[in-house]
Amino acid sequence: MDPRNGIILGGRPVARRFGAVNYRGLATMYAREMLRGFKIWGITLAAPTVRALLFASVFGLAIDRPDAMMGGVPFIDFLLPGLVAVAALERSFQSSAFSIVYDKNEGIFPDLAMLPLTPGEIVLAYAAASVSASLIVGAVVWAALLLVGGAVPVAPLTLIFFVALGSLMIALFSQITGLWARKWDYLESVQTFIFMPFVFLSGVFFSIDELSAAAQPFARANPVFYIVDGIRFAITGRADANPWVGAGVCIAVIVILWVIVYRLFAAGYRMKS
Amino acid sequence: MTDMTRGRAGSGDAPRVRSFGYVNWRGVWTLYHREVKRFLKVFTQTIAAPVVTTLLFYTIFSVALSNRVGTVGTTSFVVFLAPGLIMMTILQNSFANTSSSIMVSKVQGNIVDVLMPPISPLEMMCAYIAGGVTRGMIVATASTAAMFFLVDLPFEKPAAIAFFALSASVMLALLGMIGGIWADKFDHMAAITNFVIVPLSFLSGTFYSIERLPESWQYFAQFNPFFYAIDGFRYGFIGQGDAGFWLGAAVMLGVDLLLFLIVHRMLVTGYKLKS
Repeated sequence: MDPRNGIILGGRPVARRFGAVNYRGLATMYAREMLRGFKIWGITLAAPTVRALLFASVFGLAIDRPDAMMGGVPFIDFLLPGLVAVAALERSFQSSAFSIVYDKNEGIFPDLAMLPLTPGEIVLAYAAASVSASLIVGAVVWAALLLVGGAVPVAPLTLIFFVALGSLMIALFSQITGLWARKWDYLESVQTFIFMPFVFLSGVFFSIDELSAAAQPFARANPVFYIVDGIRFAITGRADANPWVGAGVCIAVIVILWVIVYRLFAAGYRMKS
Repeated sequence: MTDMTRGRAGSGDAPRVRSFGYVNWRGVWTLYHREVKRFLKVFTQTIAAPVVTTLLFYTIFSVALSNRVGTVGTTSFVVFLAPGLIMMTILQNSFANTSSSIMVSKVQGNIVDVLMPPISPLEMMCAYIAGGVTRGMIVATASTAAMFFLVDLPFEKPAAIAFFALSASVMLALLGMIGGIWADKFDHMAAITNFVIVPLSFLSGTFYSIERLPESWQYFAQFNPFFYAIDGFRYGFIGQGDAGFWLGAAVMLGVDLLLFLIVHRMLVTGYKLKS
């Protein structure tokens, strides 16, 4: 037997060692996060799909002119990519934060500090699970929206890129929220009072050209705007801003958030007492 | 003076059974008080959050659609929209209050503390309904006050506003009780909310006149009490609606009565509550 696996071979037990990265640990934690999310698929997959269809129907029924445009494309073509973005980003926000707060309530969250995983690996495992979950939810919602006039993306790889980028950004924000939140109330407050306004006012439902001149700078300072815009660019081929500048903004935000999350996990913020 | 009828053991006497009049007012009041304190304790989630969400919906719909829809009938779109959104929040919050209260009690096992006290099923349900209605009315008042700054809302028929707000709130409080009693897990509750309550509150005329629906759907809308709740409430504000006031009022009272009897039956038989 391989003594590196820490099995006692007659003599003293040997500390288990890993290479530079504990791949098995990463994969295990990733699998736990994914299972935890999709075990309740009625809430994590079916509900966002139904909600996207509801929004599509409600907007479709409310508009009485079939020729209504938004941002240079027919309104429904403008709206549907936004709905895919909302569903993907929401899943990303909910996966890590809910998982962490759930563990805190159960009193098992400090167990993370005992795992043979570095803080970087923990951040990576949570983030990878969030991004995968978002891609899955995004794909399902997009497929469902085909029923109500959804379009095949003009640039599928760009679409995957922007969904992944956006959900990574939100996933890191979600981890910060989860670490900070002592109770469900905290988490729900962040969701209702910060996350939802940022997403809903990011240009999901309207082109930011529709906003007053005074509101424009605020809308453009919202990083979620660039994600939604990028996703819409990938599906319809039109965008409010330059999508590649947007991608640059998001990558910068991701680097900053990653450093913050890494430091919080490394310091054991609200994990080790 | 020691009141022997209240069951206190007087000096040397055996304790007596505490007796009440026809109604255990104190018991109803206590349970109602608990229900209200329950949601007020987390008012950011139960009052502030729904108001913010309502305003958010108002913002996105008015920015996205006010230039594209113009008027609904003769009413401007934003004036049409605002009452619909207020009613939507009444529906969702009255439902959430009773359903979550019963659900949490069941999961935590303290539902017996509601079943054991000397209150009748009728008294118990009145307290729960009043709790749900209280939350619905607080959220509605706060949302209406906030809307006041955004849109020039007329108040054509205040009595109709009050009647439909209350009767809709009672309807959803009762539905919440049915949901809370029936659901075994939080997942079931989330399913009812996501797949029944939210779709019905979205699709029953909050955002558009029911005439916008295809013919066959219009037919079904006539049997949807959510439609009468939203339509009647809006009638109270703008003075016109798709269904008449009296038909709407009759439907609401009929549905409330029917649900009341169902919940009462569930409590009397102890369905899923007593084993």
